[in-house]
Parts: sequence; C-alpha cells; structure tokens
Amino acid sequence: MDTIKISSFQLFVLVFLFEMGSAIVVGIASGLKQDAWIAVLLGMAGGLLLFLVYHRLFSYYPDLPLTGYVQKITGKFIGSILGFLYIVYFIYCASRVTRDIGELLTTTIYTNTPLFIINTLMILTVIYAIHKGLEVLARVGELLFMMVYLMAFTGFLLVVFSGLIHLENLKPILENGIMPVIKKTMGETITFPFGEMIIFTMILPHLNEPKKAKFVCLSGMILSGINIIITTIINIASLGTDLIIRSPFPLLSTISKIELMNFIERLDVFFMLYLVIGGFFKITLYFYAAVLGATELFKFKNPGKLSFPVGFIVLFASLTIASNYAEHIKEGLKIVPIYLHWPFQIIIPMMLLVIAFFRNRKKKQKTNSDQTSKSEMSPANQ
Amino acid sequence: MKRTWKILLMIISAVPFLGGCWNQKELTDLAFVMALGVDRGENGHGYKLTFQIVNPGNVTTGQMGGGGGLPIAVYKSSGVNLTDASRNATKEVSRQLYYAHTNVVVISEKLAKKEGISNILDALDRDPVFRTTTQIIIARGTTAEEMLSTLTILDKLPVNNITKSLDVTENMLGENTKITIDDFISGFVSKGKHPIANGFTLVGKKNKGKYKSNIDSTIPEVIIKTDGLAIFKKGKLTGWIDGKEARGAVWVLDKVKGTDVNIDWNGKNNAINLITLRSKTKVTAIVKNDKPVITVSIENEGNVSQADLPIKLTDPDVIGKIERKMEKSIQKEVLGTIKAAQKQRSDIFGFGDVIHRTDPKLWKQLSKDWDNRFADLQVNVKVDSYLRRSGIRTNPFSVDLK
Repeated sequence: MDTIKISSFQLFVLVFLFEMGSAIVVGIASGLKQDAWIAVLLGMAGGLLLFLVYHRLFSYYPDLPLTGYVQKITGKFIGSILGFLYIVYFIYCASRVTRDIGELLTTTIYTNTPLFIINTLMILTVIYAIHKGLEVLARVGELLFMMVYLMAFTGFLLVVFSGLIHLENLKPILENGIMPVIKKTMGETITFPFGEMIIFTMILPHLNEPKKAKFVCLSGMILSGINIIITTIINIASLGTDLIIRSPFPLLSTISKIELMNFIERLDVFFMLYLVIGGFFKITLYFYAAVLGATELFKFKNPGKLSFPVGFIVLFASLTIASNYAEHIKEGLKIVPIYLHWPFQIIIPMMLLVIAFFRNRKKKQKTNSDQTSKSEMSPANQ
Repeated sequence: MKRTWKILLMIISAVPFLGGCWNQKELTDLAFVMALGVDRGENGHGYKLTFQIVNPGNVTTGQMGGGGGLPIAVYKSSGVNLTDASRNATKEVSRQLYYAHTNVVVISEKLAKKEGISNILDALDRDPVFRTTTQIIIARGTTAEEMLSTLTILDKLPVNNITKSLDVTENMLGENTKITIDDFISGFVSKGKHPIANGFTLVGKKNKGKYKSNIDSTIPEVIIKTDGLAIFKKGKLTGWIDGKEARGAVWVLDKVKGTDVNIDWNGKNNAINLITLRSKTKVTAIVKNDKPVITVSIENEGNVSQADLPIKLTDPDVIGKIERKMEKSIQKEVLGTIKAAQKQRSDIFGFGDVIHRTDPKLWKQLSKDWDNRFADLQVNVKVDSYLRRSGIRTNPFSVDLK
C-alpha cells in the first residue's frame, strides 16, 4: 500500500475534478435566486478554512490516513468506531452521487432505461478503476482534466456568443439581506462541495511531495470554486431567476439554449459527457476513500479485493436510499448536510484537531527538551 | 475452461456499449412533429391537437414539386389535456410522435382568449424532449388546425415558412420578434412583466390551404402572414398591438435589428426613408420622491435609403437635421406604444422588473398593484440617431431638375 504515490499535479487534478463533480450539474444554492453565487463564494471561503484544519491534522500524522490517525488521537476503541462510521459515510456519499448521476440520465436522455442499469454500468466502471488503483485513476484524471477544461471553455464561449448572457438578471443583489445567504452557506455550500475535501485526508499520505499538499489542494479548491461560481452566474444570467428555481439541472437548460448561427445547437451531449466524467471521479474518490479506510481498519492486505463488496453496497444503496427524485433531493438538501456533513466534515475534524494539538504539544515539549539537552552537549564535543 | 471465460468476458465487455441501445428507436418508427397546434376542444372541454408531421420521402430536394406527394401530413386528436391528446393520436398515426424537432407551437386565438393557455404550458416546459427554443405563436382569426394544414410555396415545410418569416421580419421590419416558450413563461411568472406572443394569420380562402392546388399556382390562394403581437394577462389573451405600435414594443424590448423610418421634409409627407442597421435600447429606472421614473434610451445607426425631393445630402448640417427628425419620429412611435399598453394596463416591456432591480424595497409596495401603477407611470423616451451613409449616390437626382 505504501508504494502508491501520486504527483502533486495529479493530486491537483483529482481535487479539481472531485470538487466540480456533481456541484456544477445540480443547481447549487438555487433557492437563493440571483444571490446563489454569493453563497458559493462564501462556501468556498469556509471550505478553505476547513481544509486548513484537515491539513493540520495531516501534518501531525503525515503517514496515516484519516481512519489511521483517528485511532491514534482518540484511542483504539473510540477511534475504530469513528473510523468505521467514516467508512459508512463515504459509502453513503458515493451512493448519493451515483443516484444523482443516474437520476439525471434517466430524466433527460435515457428516459425509458431503468435506473438499475445505468447505475450498474457506472459502478462496474468504478470497480474497475478501483481495482487498477489510485495511480491509474490519477493518470486518467490528467487526461480527462484537459478534456473537461476544453469543453468548459468552448461551452462558455458558445453561451457568450449566442447572446444568452443578460447580466441584469443578477440584480438586485442581496434583495432580502445577507441572512438567507449565510444560512444557505452554512446549511449547504460550505459542506457541498467544499467540505467534501475530507476524503482527501485519506489520499494525502500517498502524495510524493507532502510539503506541497497544502498549496496544491487549496489551489485546486480555488480553481474549481471559481469555475462553480462562473457557472452559477452564467446560469442565472441566461435562465433568469424564475426558470432557475424550476430547473433541477440548470446547466443543462442553459446549454440547450445555445443556438448559434442556426446550426450550432442541441449541445446537450457536452453536458452529458461532463456529467459522466465528473460523476465518475466523484464516485470513485469517495469509493476509494471507503476502500482505503476499510483496508486500514480491518488490516486487509489487498485493497483491490474489497472493491467488489463495497461496490455492491454502493449500487444497492444508490437504488434504495430514496423512492423518488423529490425524496432524494429533500434528503440531500435538508437532512444530509445537517446530520451527516456537519458532524463528519466539520465537528469531528475540529475536535480531533483540538485533541491532537494537546497531545502533540506534550510530545513536542519532550522532543524539544531532548534537542536542547543535545545542543547543550554538542559544544563540548566541538 | 479458459475459452469459456474469454467468451464470458467478451459478452460482459459489450454491456457498456449496449447501454445506449435501451431506448433505441428506428427512424422509420418515428413521426417528426414539426409544429404542434392547440385548439379548443368540442364544447369547450379539453383540447384538440394538430400535428404537422414531416413526410421525409417528399421533402428531399430535386423532386421539384411534381412526382412526389405532399411534404407534410397533418393529424388531429383530442383529449382532456396535452399529454392525453398526444397519446390519443396514436390511434391514427402509425408511428411514435417525436417532439425533439418541434419548432413552433401554434395556439388558436379563441383558446387563448376564452380559457387561457396556462394549462398547456407546463406540459411543454416539463417534457425533456421538447426544446426550450421552441417558439410560441397565436393563430389570429383562425384555428391552429387551419394554420398548420396550409401548404406554402417557397418553403416545402410550412413550419419553416413561419419561423423564417419571423426571422426576416425581425431583421428587416422589426414588428415581430422571436418569442420562445421560455420567454413566454418567464413573462408569465414575473410580477413585473406581461408576456407577449407573435400573431400569425391566414390571408385568402382559409379552407383551400390544405390542397396541393395552393402551391400549384404562382399566387397561392392562402398565405400565412405575421400579424401583430398578442398581449397576455394572467394567461389569457387580452389584446393585440399591430403595425407601428408593435414595432414600438419591439423597440423597447431591444429586439429591433433592422427597420425603416419615414420622415416628412419641407411639408412633403414621407419624403425621406431611412433604414436602421443597428439599434440598442437601454431601460433604466430612477426613483424620485418615492415615485419611479422610467427612461428608455434608444440609440440607432442607419443610412439614408430614399429621398424623393431635392435635398443636399452632402451637407452635414442637413444630415444632422434629418437625424433630429428621425429621433422625434421614433420617440413619438415608442411613446404611442407605451401609451397604448398603459391603456390596457399591461406592462409588456418589463418596466416592473427594471424597478425591481433598481429598488427592491419600493418594488415590494408597487408589485401589489402593479397593473394600475403601471397605467400612470412616468416614462421618458430618449432617442439618439446617427446616419452614416447615403448609398451609392450623394444628392438625389431631383437636385439637378431644378
């Protein structure tokens, strides 16, 4: 396991694809109408601070993933339970993303295909990727990153040149004051997608240059955050506030509005391609975090072997977590952020940091005093 | 044993590629609905739908009318709502109706006036196959059925006649503008705007349009023609604006691309004709003593296209004077439209939305009674015209006649 290493650019790509993932597809914070982008901006700021917490924990234990140092910090018993809960959380999140992608495909193009088939195909691909390991995934990421960027850029130009942008739709800014925006930030955007960086605590130990971890992850978050903000602004500007509330997938509506010179139109395939790429990386990384955690916790030798059982759990969970789309979205917006994202992304890591801080201070004092005693001795040797 | 595994692996690896075939539909099993017509049902119950379906074999170029049959087939069905009627149509149509290429939804004036169209919009908005760029038009003084069964001479598909003539009037005349279902719904939902839709009418013997004889003569017996803009209030058609008034509305909405303006000179009526090449409209609101004032500023750029009296077009001062006259004429026209809309208490320009953007607090009070507030809203129109060129002649020949 220790032999797996990824470069800092590969980590950057993974962070970028993971963060963009499904956040661009579903209308993030769309309930705020024209102020949605402000909530994303604030969410990004909060997410960056959160990542500093995760990074501090990583710098205390640079060789261990989250499930490993949880046991060091809180003790074997509580640590194992927490680690196990994290694994379950990762699996649940992976199945939520799978469901998101499946729902989108079945509502838009594969209207007669059962959800089961679409999710099975996705999960089979993910299992294959996990079987090949993180290095392969990272390399695929590098390839697709270029593709996603090219598509996003072309899409952006096409939207602009079709004359869809009406910036006046963004006004009035903060119509109902700042409070609803802050509420939404706390309830939604800080955790989704920015707080989801928690899964990178599982991957950071595999970075070949640990010193660059902070810079790479933060810049990946900022870049993807900016992209999400730009997308949100484009959606609002081209759809208008009333349509954005009624669209479950605003970006799809925006793209299908592109009509340039009477022949560049019906570009929904752009969106579908992006959706499958982004969704794939998000599911795979969640999945991978779960598999890594389980190998660590249950002392498995080969993480690849776990991919099949975990895959089936993800698949069946993705089908059973909700009986219809409305239920799925309600869970995702009202219940999950408060009862799952907040504890797992914010509260537990913060508590861990506090405990780790005190534990390591003691240790440091010890090592410091060792060093001072050594340095006191050293002049005598000279 | 190894062989079996290999075969199994090949079968499994085919699965991802076959996923897309689940919904597979053969072209020959689909009926491409080019335009959808909605009429009032019998005795006012439900809806009658008309489908203009393309007949692919007869559209191909090179057949030149003779030989092949008609390019379209028109089917009808009825039901309590749109989806019901569309599914009922399968009793007659031998193929599955496919809406991804529907360019136009035609709604009859009667239906729009009597029952309103709020009950048919959701089906069009929700269906993933329907395009958001589909346009909505009103069949004025006729039924959607007659409109869609009329054959046209220049465009093989009559639906293209509708969309293209909208395009071309938008570019050359400015009395109509493309209005998609999305535009219509956003006007419908917004408190500070009333939606409009393009009107189309049939000129000639309406019931003759469906026969091939209509396109066998150089002067067709029936033609489809754009005719005014329909004003909607709460989903019901409440009135029409025509001709120059319609152009005024399109001007305020910043949709005029090209048009022509006639002005009087030295007592001669309509002596000079000017064409507009580019036009830009900005609508702003200022709040004075808790009362909003709307300013519409129009900036346009054009050429002199006709001068029927001796006038020195080489003199910049004269050009300047023509520009001032053009500004006055446009201003009068736009103000006339605004007055007409105020009379009908229908804010088709979205002035309410502009106030909402500039002063959300004031808008909260105004929006409760916007229709009446709009009726006595103060609106200023400011026009800046620039004439750049005068074609390939300088002074008109009439200067030499003197």
